[in-house]
Amino acid sequence: MSTPEEERVDWNAVEQSPEFKELIAARRRFVLPATIFFLAWYIGFVLLAGYAPDFMADSVYEGLTVGYCLALTQFVMVFVLGYLYLRRADKVYDPLAAKVVEKALGATHATTRPAAPAAPAAPPAAPRDPETPR
Amino acid sequence: MTLIAADVNVEALVIFAIVLSITLVVTYWASKRMTGANVFWAAGRSISGFQNGLAISGDYLSAASFLGIAGLIYIFGFDGFLYSVGFLVAFLTVMFLLAERMRNAGKYTIADVLSFRLRERPARVAAALGTLSVAAFYLIAQMVGAGVLIQALVGIDFSLAVLITGVMMLCYVIFGGMLATTWVQIIKAVLLMIAILVMSLFVLERVGFNPIELFNRAEANTTDESTFSLGPGTFLSSPIDTVSLGIALVLGTAGLPHILMRFFTVPDSKAARSSVVYAIFIIGIFYVLTTFVGFGARALLGEEGVAAAGAGGNLAAPNLAQFLGGGEGTFGGDLFLAIVAAVAFATILAVVAGLVLSASGAVAHDIWSNVIRKGRDSEHEEVLVARIAAASIGALAIAIAIIGGEGLNVSFMVGLAFAVAASANFPALLLALTWKRFNTAGAVTGVVFGVVSAIVLVIISPKVWPGPDGEGGALSFYDLANPGIISIPLGFIGCWLGTMLSNERGNEREFAELRVRAETGLGAEKAGAVA
Repeated sequence: MSTPEEERVDWNAVEQSPEFKELIAARRRFVLPATIFFLAWYIGFVLLAGYAPDFMADSVYEGLTVGYCLALTQFVMVFVLGYLYLRRADKVYDPLAAKVVEKALGATHATTRPAAPAAPAAPPAAPRDPETPR
Repeated sequence: MTLIAADVNVEALVIFAIVLSITLVVTYWASKRMTGANVFWAAGRSISGFQNGLAISGDYLSAASFLGIAGLIYIFGFDGFLYSVGFLVAFLTVMFLLAERMRNAGKYTIADVLSFRLRERPARVAAALGTLSVAAFYLIAQMVGAGVLIQALVGIDFSLAVLITGVMMLCYVIFGGMLATTWVQIIKAVLLMIAILVMSLFVLERVGFNPIELFNRAEANTTDESTFSLGPGTFLSSPIDTVSLGIALVLGTAGLPHILMRFFTVPDSKAARSSVVYAIFIIGIFYVLTTFVGFGARALLGEEGVAAAGAGGNLAAPNLAQFLGGGEGTFGGDLFLAIVAAVAFATILAVVAGLVLSASGAVAHDIWSNVIRKGRDSEHEEVLVARIAAASIGALAIAIAIIGGEGLNVSFMVGLAFAVAASANFPALLLALTWKRFNTAGAVTGVVFGVVSAIVLVIISPKVWPGPDGEGGALSFYDLANPGIISIPLGFIGCWLGTMLSNERGNEREFAELRVRAETGLGAEKAGAVA
């Protein structure tokens, strides 16, 4: 399905490029703390439900319990993190990824165009062939 | 043997027939657009982010979510809500770790991603093992659930109900592939959301639109025999079991093949990402509303309704609908019951269709096309094998559900599916995408460890193998009902151990390629035209 340009991308070079590292770092700055936070908040909630049932059954206001309120904070957390990630991804990660792709395809244009007619699109399947020794 | 009982619900049959006709029209439309494997498994990558968000919700919210959780809240109170929280938070795992990477690096199945930089044949066999185990347990659970519910709600015999469900599911998948399955899931999601919204409004109207009043009336409507509580600890009595279940829920969704497969149906990773966020909002609102239905059933039906709600309280929501419509014997009551029954039926159909499709992908795309035929088969052959595989898997599931009958424990099978997904599929996929050193032996060992440990631990659990005194399990040292807390670490350990013990080398180049593709979408499968 890939275009010939995509088949000649030097993946190692792209992976080592500053643009790609910037993309990974930008994404990690949000995703890593967010993942740690949501897992901690969720597992904390589950631990409380398991080990502190009396606290969870305490009434905050009439019949509204601590447990129900904490459960609702989980919903709010999911909605907020989902929205924040979506916004950041559209504004920050997508443009960074586009830069990586542009440079990767541009580089193959520059270095491989002369050789292109001699190298038809046959090889792409070869590296994935299970019979090929590595 | 009478197949249709004397007290068959005519309104329900009529509404069932309408829902089924609409889905069959959609299937016919999709079958006319079936141009090849790309449409059969990925709907031509033509589904928009919003449509896919609805379809994910339709794929995910099973009868266990709708009737099961409402019933658990009705009978046990807060503990039922714990499931909802886990089922929802799980989507953050999917969104942060897998959704976009799957879309960028895969084609039709999770094995495409897993085998990308590993030795293809063993990696695909391992991934197919994980997919088929999850799909089998989940599928049989849903089929049995469908039979029990339809028998109770409509008055059609269990075996016939299973057969109808199975045949409809196979129609969607065989003739309409992913395109028809997607639209069945979208229709179901819309119906389900409308139904639960209307029910919640009716419940809230009874308490003056004051949720606090709802909690108070729910708590007041208990007797000494009630297990209901506004606090935890009534259904999940062991703390460690609560934690184990919680972890399996939050990681299991990220290993469900029929959910992950949905990300291949959108044009790009941007749409994959937005579809998770749409799904999060739809599913989140749904689970908040199930508490109104569950607590509403407790507040309005009280302890007297427990016997009528059946095992696990599965019929609490339909009974509540009947009550809200005017009660048994009234036109409004019968109509409401019929509508909820039809929505529950549509719910099951959408889920089982997604499951059969993912299982047929494992058999036809992974085992047949890439392992047996080594990619030398034509696309036509791949789709033909997929249809044969779907028919065989469906027939087998129908047979097991009918032979196993109503005695098969539905919640235990769903729990097993989540445990296998979290212990086998999730560790292997996550490490394939993030750990450079990870190799084929690691993937195979991890999947085998995960599948075997989850199944063995469930078999020796007290739920399946109760001790002679009925207290605790037969094995005194092991009494966990939910294996996640042991089997998930075992899955990861298997991946690590296999990787370290193998001297397989030379994967580094492919890791760089997989990483760049997964993170940027460079070279990702393009959207094809649906004719």
